[in-house]
Amino acid sequence: MSSKQTNLLQGTLDLLILKSLNTGELHGLGISRRIDQMTQGTFVVKPGSLFPALHRMEEAGWLNATWGDSENNRRAKFYRLTRAGKAQLTVETEQWNTIALAMANALNATT
Amino acid sequence: MSTLFRMRSALRNLFKKEKVERQLDDELRSYVEMAADEKVAAGVPASEARRRTLAELGGVEQVKQAVRDRRAGSSLDTLWGDMRYGWRQLLRNPGFTAAVIVTLALSVGVNTAIFSIVNALMLKSLPYSEPERLGTVFTRIQGSATFDGMNDIDGEQWELLRDSVPSLMGAVTSGISSGVNLVAAGSVQYVHAGRISAQYFDVLGIHPAMGRNFTSDEDRPHGPKAVIISDILWRNAFHSDEHLIGQAIQLKGEAHTVVGILPAGAQTPMNADVYTPIQPSRQGEGGGSNYEVIVRLRDGATWQQADAQINQAWANRAQRITKEFHPGSTVWFYTVPLQKGQTATLRPKALTLMLAAGIILLIACANLAGLTVVRMTRRTGEIATRMALGASRWQIQRQLWIETLLLAVIGGAVGIGVGFLALRGLLSLLPRNYLPVAGVPLDARVLAFAIAVSVLTSLLFGLLPAIAVSGIDLRSFMSSRTIAGVERLRLRQFLIAGEVALTLVLLAATGLLIRSLIHLQTLPPGFNPNGVMTAKASLDEARYRDPAEFDRLMKESTAAMKRIPGVESVGVGLSVPFERELNNVTTINSGPQVGQQIVSGELYVTPGYFEALQIPLLTGRTFNDSDRRDTQHVVVVNRAFMSKFYGGANPVGLPLSKDGTTIVGVVEDVTLPPHIDNVNDPLGIEPTAYIPSTQADPRFLSVIHVWFQPSWVVRTGGPIDGLPGQMQRALADVDPSLPFSGFYSMNYHQAQAIATQRVEVALLSAMAGLALLLSAVGIFALIANIVAQRTREIGIRMALGATVRQVMASVAASGIRSSAAGLLIGLLLCMVTLRAMRSVLYGVGVYDVPSMVGVVLVLTIVTALAVLIPTLRLTRMNPVATLREQ
Repeated sequence: MSSKQTNLLQGTLDLLILKSLNTGELHGLGISRRIDQMTQGTFVVKPGSLFPALHRMEEAGWLNATWGDSENNRRAKFYRLTRAGKAQLTVETEQWNTIALAMANALNATT
Repeated sequence: MSTLFRMRSALRNLFKKEKVERQLDDELRSYVEMAADEKVAAGVPASEARRRTLAELGGVEQVKQAVRDRRAGSSLDTLWGDMRYGWRQLLRNPGFTAAVIVTLALSVGVNTAIFSIVNALMLKSLPYSEPERLGTVFTRIQGSATFDGMNDIDGEQWELLRDSVPSLMGAVTSGISSGVNLVAAGSVQYVHAGRISAQYFDVLGIHPAMGRNFTSDEDRPHGPKAVIISDILWRNAFHSDEHLIGQAIQLKGEAHTVVGILPAGAQTPMNADVYTPIQPSRQGEGGGSNYEVIVRLRDGATWQQADAQINQAWANRAQRITKEFHPGSTVWFYTVPLQKGQTATLRPKALTLMLAAGIILLIACANLAGLTVVRMTRRTGEIATRMALGASRWQIQRQLWIETLLLAVIGGAVGIGVGFLALRGLLSLLPRNYLPVAGVPLDARVLAFAIAVSVLTSLLFGLLPAIAVSGIDLRSFMSSRTIAGVERLRLRQFLIAGEVALTLVLLAATGLLIRSLIHLQTLPPGFNPNGVMTAKASLDEARYRDPAEFDRLMKESTAAMKRIPGVESVGVGLSVPFERELNNVTTINSGPQVGQQIVSGELYVTPGYFEALQIPLLTGRTFNDSDRRDTQHVVVVNRAFMSKFYGGANPVGLPLSKDGTTIVGVVEDVTLPPHIDNVNDPLGIEPTAYIPSTQADPRFLSVIHVWFQPSWVVRTGGPIDGLPGQMQRALADVDPSLPFSGFYSMNYHQAQAIATQRVEVALLSAMAGLALLLSAVGIFALIANIVAQRTREIGIRMALGATVRQVMASVAASGIRSSAAGLLIGLLLCMVTLRAMRSVLYGVGVYDVPSMVGVVLVLTIVTALAVLIPTLRLTRMNPVATLREQ
C-alpha cells in the first residue's frame, strides 16, 4: 500500500520535472522554482528529492545536462529534455490524464 | 536504449568517479549560491541568507549521498567501498583482527579435522559399486544379557546363509587378518594375506583386471590351491608379468596357481596383497564362530525379505544361543549397511569428538561475540560521527556485516588450512588400519562444512554488534561522550561464565580419560617388559604343519639366538603379553567345575619363554627340554586360572583334561587384552593355560598358524646394536626362507593394546587445552577492556585516595564473579553429562574427586592469571598523568 503511494509521488515528481523542462533548459534551482510556480505552491521540491531525481533521469537518458552561466553569472548545470525525455513526457502526461480522469469519475460517481 | 544508457552511466560512475563527484559538488554549490542570491535580493543579509539556505537544504552531504544512492551501479560501488573501508578498519585494529582470525581458524580447524573423519567414516560412500546394497549381519540379544552388534558366524551358519537366503549373495572372510611368506624372484617376502570365500569379490562388485574370481571348487576344503593378487604386488613382486595367470607361485611354502590379478586401485575392506580361498567348512576353523560375513542384496530383493530369510535359516542357531548362553532371552538377526557395520565401534567415539569440537565452536563464538562487543564500544564514536554525517543505520549495519563476513572468509580459509594440518597430525597418531577406510580426504563436503561453520559462527558473533548499533543514541552520545556500558558488561560476563562452564566440562572429561589411561599404563604387567625385543614370523607354511619340523625350528632358532653376544635368554610363544591370546574351550577334569566346559586363553611356549619375559613362577615348575611329545603332557596355568577354576587352591599335580594333561606349575598373571572385545577393560587379566611347544597338537598347529604369528622373545643385558639383523641371521641359519615380519618392543605392544585410549586422550587433551586457552583469552580481554574503559574513573578514585589494591579488586570483581559462576554451572553440567562416559572409563569412577579437584584447580589458576595480568597495569598507573590525558 505504502509503496504504491511512493511510486505515485515519484512518478509525479518525474512528470513535473519533465514538464518544467518542456519550455527550455533550466538549472536545479530554476526547476524547483518553476514547479513551485506551475503548481502555485502545492509542491515544494526539496533538493534532497530533486537532485537524486535529476541524476536518475539523466542516467535514464531523458535529460541532458550542460554547464553554463546563470542569470546572475553563476556557473550552473543546466538540464534539458532529450528526445527520449520528450517522448517520456508525452507518455507520462497521457498516463496521468487517464489516471486523473478515472479518479475524477470515481470520486464524482453517485453514491 | 534505457538499459544501455544506464549501463554506460554505471561504468562512468564506477570508473570516472572523481569527475562525477566533482560535478555533483559544483552543482550543489551553485545551487546554494543561487538560492542565497535570491534571499539577498529579497533583502536578507548575506551571511544569514547562506545559513538559511543550508538549513533548508538539510545537509549537503545527505543530499550528495541521496544522489549517490540513486546512481546506476551504486550498490556495487558502495559494496566495494564498504569492503575497502572494512579492510582498512581491520588493518587499523591488528590486535582485534588477529584475535578473531586466530580464534576462528583454530575452532574451524578443529571442526574441519574432526568432521573430515566423521565424513570418511559415515557420510562418504564406500568405494564399491552400489554400496547401498552391501551389508553385514548383526545379532541382537535381549533378555538376561543384552547384546547388539556384529557377531562372527560358524561354518554351519555360513552354509545356511549361502544356501537358504536367496535374497542375498554372501561371502565370508577370516576375522583375523594375517600375513604369509611369498617367494618371488628368488627371494622370500612377507605379504598381507586375506582369506576369502569364492564370491567375495562378486559381493564387492570387483572384477579382476586379468583372470577370474575363485570358483566354488577352489573354495572347497582341500580344493586346488589358488591365489588372487593385488595390482601393487603384481607390479612390485612380479614386474607386471603379463603371463602370470595360470602360473604357480610359492606361497606359504606351497605352490599356488595365480587365477586373478585385481584392477589397479581396487579397494577391499582388507586391502591385502594376496587373497586365498578360505575353504569354509563345519570343522576346524568353521567349528567355531570365526567367519566375518558380508552380503550384497540381489536385484529385486528387499532387506526385509533378507532379514526374514536369515532368521528362518538360523532359527536353530538362535535357539542354541538362548539355551546355552542367555536363558530366557530373544535372539534376532538383522542386516545393517556395510558402512555402519564396519564403523559400529568407532561411531560413538567420532560423534563424541564432534560434540567436543562443537563445544570449542561455542566457546569461540562467545569469545568472538565478547571481542566484537568491545570493539563496538570503542567504535561508538566513529559510528556516531558517521551517523551525524548522514549515514543511515542500515548503512552502518551493512558496513559491520561486511567486516564480519570479511573476518569469516579469512578466518575460514586459515581454518581450513589449520584443519588440514590437524588432520595430518591426527592420522599420524592413529595406528595402521585403525580406521576402516583407505583415506580421509578433505573433499567438497568437508570444505562446504568448514565454510558453513565459519559463516555461521560469524553470523552468531556478528549479530551482537548489529543489535548494539540500533541502540546507539546519537544525541546522548555526542553530549556526554561516555558509554553506558553496564548492559554490555553484563552480557560479556554472561558469555564468559558460559565459556568457563563448557571448558570445565571438556577439562573434566579429559581428566577422567587421562586417569583411565594412567590406570591402564600403570597396571602391573606381571613380567619385566624392559630389555626385551620381540620378532614375529608367519609359520603358516606347509613344512611347519609337520610337528618334527616345527620342533626343530623352535629348538634350533632359540639356540641360535642365544648365541648372539649380550643375549641373556630366548623364548618363543604363540602370543606375548599385551597381545590378544588364543581363546580355547576345554572340558576341565579336576577342581570344583570338573566335567564342565571352560573358556581360557591357550598358548604354546618354549622352555625359555618364562625366563625371557621374567614371568614369576608361583609354584611347581615351568617347562624344560625333557617335556617331549612322547612324555607326560603337561601344562602351566596362571594365577587367574587357579582362582577361577580351582577357587585359589594349588592345582599342581591335578589333571587338566581327560587326555591326562597334568598341571605342573602356576605362574603370575600378565596384563593383556580381554578375550572378548568391548566387554571388559582394554587391558586386564584372563585365565591362561601354557603348553610346551613340543607337545602342541599337530592339528592345532596347522590351524592356529593361519591366525597367529608366534613371537621370538629375546632378553638382553643392555642395548645391542643391530639386534634385529642378528636375530634375522640367526633365524636364517635354521630356515633361510623364513623372514621375520616385524620387530617390536614390549612398549609397542602395550601402546597397540591401548591405542584407542591414547588417541582419545591426545585428541580430547588438545581440545580441552584449546578451550582453556580461548576462555583465558576471553577473560583477559574482558578485564583489559574494563581497565581501559574505566581509566578515567580509576584515576579519579586513586586521586581521591583509593589504594591500588582497592581499585584492582573492583576491576577484577567482574571477572572473578563470572568465572566463579561459570565454574558452578560447569560442575552442574558435569554431574549431568559425565555419566555418559562410564563405558570408556577404566579404573576410575565418573565422579572422581582427584581429577575433578585437579581440573577445578587448573581452571581456577588459569582464570585467576587471566584476571590478574590485565589488572596489574593499574599498579603502574599514575593518576595525575591519567587525568591530564583524558
